[in-house]
Amino acid sequence: MKELFPLKQVMGFVFSLVLTAVALIAYFTDMSFSLGMTILLLTAFIQAGLQIVVFMHAGETNDKKSIYTNIYYGVLIALITIFGTLLVMVWDM
Amino acid sequence: MKVDNSLPLEYSTEENSLKILGFWIFLGAEIMLFATLFTAYFTLENRIGNGPSGAEIFEISPVLVETILLLTSSFVIGLGIHAMRLGNKKAMMIFFSITLLLGAGFLGFEIYEFIHYVHVGATLQTSAFTAILLTTLGTHGLHVTFGLVWGLFILIQIKKRGLTPETANKSFIFSLYWHFLDIIWIFIFSFIYLKGMM
Repeated sequence: MKELFPLKQVMGFVFSLVLTAVALIAYFTDMSFSLGMTILLLTAFIQAGLQIVVFMHAGETNDKKSIYTNIYYGVLIALITIFGTLLVMVWDM
Repeated sequence: MKVDNSLPLEYSTEENSLKILGFWIFLGAEIMLFATLFTAYFTLENRIGNGPSGAEIFEISPVLVETILLLTSSFVIGLGIHAMRLGNKKAMMIFFSITLLLGAGFLGFEIYEFIHYVHVGATLQTSAFTAILLTTLGTHGLHVTFGLVWGLFILIQIKKRGLTPETANKSFIFSLYWHFLDIIWIFIFSFIYLKGMM
């Protein structure tokens, strides 16, 4: 039975629950918008990385390089699209 | 077909490795799909017209339940893949079934949430904000719905054919899809709900 619950994945799950709890601090306590956003950005991206590395086994084979290049490229274009649009449409710069 | 026994079953042939890499590239495109939805959401979230704002309609408890359900299902399908690598078909099928049940629970809460939104007057036509909100949540929800059907067929195949390089490969790719939906939910949870209620 024990072999069905590898420590790495159990720890990954516990850690993601902790990160969710930390993100909730931004909701339950009265803090400034920028501090709250900083916490949310950190917890969200750490949690996404955790999923990719621990649960999706992204780095386990010879395709490691191609897989990470693909993810980084996707995330880069996503961030440029989102922040580029915010810059022009919302922040009026 | 050349089978490399030093690798897990789902990677054991060249075709299998290529299929997994191909699915990662598809996930790259999915990142962009959701990035454009988030872009539109952040642009339109304050344009509420005569309708309600996010802070007025979001409720923390169903959202929290949905988060826990999806997070747990993502962990459980990871255990399923681990069991598959140990060659334990029965444990794998149990983990995959639990994953799908948790996914169905998630979907149930999301449907409840949508009904709640319509009741408080936040429909697809109310304002730019409600339109993009429901489109973004709906796109994720549709992905989960599709995943439930896909996962069910994977389970049927495993039951019928057992663990072969082919079925193991399909199961692994499905697990990638499921984890990806959890990642997207983390961003929806953080930057739509928590940000909206902050």
